[in-house]
Amino acid sequence: MSLNKNYLRTFFLIFFCFSMKGQHMESKDSILVENLDEVVVTATRTIRQLSSLPLPVTLIPKKQLQRTGVTRLNEILNEQTGIVMTPDGTIGGGEGVQIQGISSDYVLVLIDGVPVVGRSSGNLDLSRFAIGNIKQIEVVKGPSSSLFGSEALGGVINIITEKPTSDNISGQISHRAATFNNQNSNISLNQRVNKIGYSVFADRLSTDGYDLTPQDDGQTINPFYNYTFNGRVFYDASDNLSIFGSGRYFFQEFDVPSGTSEEKDANAHLRIDHKITKKAQFEYEVYFTNYNTNEQTIDATTGDTLFENDFDQNLFRPEIRFNYNIKPQNTLTVGAGYNFENLTRSLFADKVTFDSQYAYVQYDFAPVEKLNVIVGARFDNHSEYNSQLSPKISARYQLTEYLALKGSVGSGFKAPDFRQLYLDFTNASGGGYSVFGKEVEAAGIERLQENNEIATLQVNSTELGETLDAESSIGYNLGLGFIKGKIHTDINFFRNDFKNLIDTRILASKTNGQNVFGYINRESVYTQGLELNLNYKAMENLNLSTGYQLLYAFDKDKKEAIENGEVFARDPETLQTFVLEQSDYFGLENRSRHTLNFKAFYEIPKWKANGNLRVVYRSKFGLADRNGNDLLDNFEDSFVSGYALVNLTFGKTFFKHYSLQLGVNNLLDFKGNNPLAAQDSEVLINPGIQLFTKLNIQF
Amino acid sequence: MKTTFKLFSLLFMLVAFVACSDDEDDTPDLAAVESSTASNIEAPQTGGQGEPVGGPFTKFSFETGAVTDSETDWDIAFRGLTILVNGGAVTGTAEEPTRNGNGGVAIETGTFTSVTSADGLAFDQDADGALAIPGGSDNGWYNYNPATFTVTPIPGKIFVVRTHDGKYAKMEILSYYKDAPSEITEEIASNDFRYYTFNYVYNPNEGETTLTTE
Repeated sequence: MSLNKNYLRTFFLIFFCFSMKGQHMESKDSILVENLDEVVVTATRTIRQLSSLPLPVTLIPKKQLQRTGVTRLNEILNEQTGIVMTPDGTIGGGEGVQIQGISSDYVLVLIDGVPVVGRSSGNLDLSRFAIGNIKQIEVVKGPSSSLFGSEALGGVINIITEKPTSDNISGQISHRAATFNNQNSNISLNQRVNKIGYSVFADRLSTDGYDLTPQDDGQTINPFYNYTFNGRVFYDASDNLSIFGSGRYFFQEFDVPSGTSEEKDANAHLRIDHKITKKAQFEYEVYFTNYNTNEQTIDATTGDTLFENDFDQNLFRPEIRFNYNIKPQNTLTVGAGYNFENLTRSLFADKVTFDSQYAYVQYDFAPVEKLNVIVGARFDNHSEYNSQLSPKISARYQLTEYLALKGSVGSGFKAPDFRQLYLDFTNASGGGYSVFGKEVEAAGIERLQENNEIATLQVNSTELGETLDAESSIGYNLGLGFIKGKIHTDINFFRNDFKNLIDTRILASKTNGQNVFGYINRESVYTQGLELNLNYKAMENLNLSTGYQLLYAFDKDKKEAIENGEVFARDPETLQTFVLEQSDYFGLENRSRHTLNFKAFYEIPKWKANGNLRVVYRSKFGLADRNGNDLLDNFEDSFVSGYALVNLTFGKTFFKHYSLQLGVNNLLDFKGNNPLAAQDSEVLINPGIQLFTKLNIQF
Repeated sequence: MKTTFKLFSLLFMLVAFVACSDDEDDTPDLAAVESSTASNIEAPQTGGQGEPVGGPFTKFSFETGAVTDSETDWDIAFRGLTILVNGGAVTGTAEEPTRNGNGGVAIETGTFTSVTSADGLAFDQDADGALAIPGGSDNGWYNYNPATFTVTPIPGKIFVVRTHDGKYAKMEILSYYKDAPSEITEEIASNDFRYYTFNYVYNPNEGETTLTTE
């Protein structure tokens, strides 16, 4: 008996060892095969293998961009776990990205590591970015102000463009035609001859737009066209010195019924990498960007200008970085830079200027085997608000061969923007309310008082013009990553605590019955939840993946007010007030409790064909408080029911160089219903099914 | 017949006497606290939308529970979204009635039943350029939704009113639309507005602050 037992044990031990060894080799192989090119630069500003990072990072590779046939950044982001493109509260308003439940205002967008500017009411329109010449898109979730400064609270989206590698001229021409007369053509050319490489990209998109309000006059999205041009040069002056230069220009014009609506975005980026020794490298970077809009609404009958909003923003930023490899896996990164920013806007009295200086340091090291720690901090000094120190620490520990524990704590901040400081706006057509930025509110109120337009001042006059603080957050992430053979999965718990969020408040009521609004640091909110990703290579040519995010996002002060019994709602039948329960508080606007995606990518090499199916679901979300208690509760009529978008693409390559794609976005023809629509009229959430076909010629 | 009458008179006097003496032994006789709903108090207004606002105010008396034309015996008055109290100074709006009482308003936060007394509350009166119940959306008594053009009373705002003659009442505005519909359609929002419906409890006894009917 005992012999038997021992025999059994030995047998198992041997079996186990063998199977371990087998799996070990297999996993090594598969890592080599699948993950070799999965390196990212955004998380640390150094080249790091994706799977080895202690932070939650989403990588969207070129292959996924090509296979799905999408053309704009917003479309592909919406298919990623924990990233939601969501409309802002207004009907026909812009769409913004949401990461870990954090809205677009707090997400930094970079192209090759440098920030893009030009936000409308805090929201950056991601459909501005064509994805034709992109190598990959990296999304770092959670606060990253320790490296990137302002705006990197919810995360950082970095668009990495492609580098030329071939001696021959290579490139592609493609045209894509889709529903709503959406026509997208682009061409790219790349070549690298010895030390010099270049890359040229041009893209044109035009569409008739679409309408979400079939019964009303006018369209939700007016017809528009846009152009994107990008030229880049690469020059290796020597083995130790390389130069990169890039110029990008974007122009868009909407065909509005009366008036003009133009948008321009230009940037120039120069970087010099200088290796001093094998271990030490300097990077010198100069970046300039301009964002310019010209909007005018003209009364069709009288010819009067009803509304004018011209916007001209400039950012100039030199930066120096230094990387030092003390020993393998130990890298010190130091950087410093200067931001010169200015904005001229028709809703501002004068041209306004910001100056800020910053420096950061990061140490990426392995104190013991299996443990990687990254510590870093950044200091930002600003001309208009308090200086900010943003530290961050993250660590990854390899628990077993396949399993790793990752955690990070970091801080993020967002500087008060130009609008919150300098807006001087009275809405003449909307009833005559006024909004003042913090820096101009005292003067603005005084001016209105002199004109006898103020009925009552609602705040103490000494509070007017007190400085605004930066909005800030602390983010916590804790997760497990498991990679073994064909399975790649990770789970991440997150929590983001925000404070000093800038809110509007009533400064005074006017004699015309309208209010004067100003800005104040007031709100404290949190978002927390978990994200789960599962990737399974079911067969050689079939890749399945699914992702889920659970999200709770609440205003802390409002939760406290409910706790104190100070929040009320009205019974829809008796119209009587009752006290709201904590369980009736739904949470922040535009947040879905559950988001889910499923993707299947299949290839048939024999036929040179491929197909993929992507399903994105989000559960119900509320758009606005409509029952007067200033928070979204279960008694609102402003909820959008949960919905799924199903996208399908097939591709086939002919004669080696030609490939044809056919696809359907929103296959189920989901249209939805916007609850904010006026009574007896209909506003859709989505314009419905969209078909496309794309021809691509590779050479 | 006559005897019967006398007998009845005697009996009546006896009962009255007994009742009286009973009262004197206990607390003084208090009139019952009244709980009621004022429906469709019309509050028309002229002008607006950039034009000067005008028109007479609709005056309301808690004692009668009705709209009144009296120059003196009114407690609150409505015109469009503006609510006046019979106490304080001229605010400066056109055609406002003369305030000859000592009325006031304390804006309390709670449900209608949770506000039980006027005791110890601070009462505001109208003043030059300022209303005791402030105007403006999300500020005084209502929210205005510019998308649907609807006015809804802010939940949890209970107004404790000191009447022109120093008695107390509490009120909760339920609706600004005719017949207090549970759903304000576009039709209603554009046609049937400026009709106040509110619940109120009025204590007719001088110096009494209790605002419950129990």
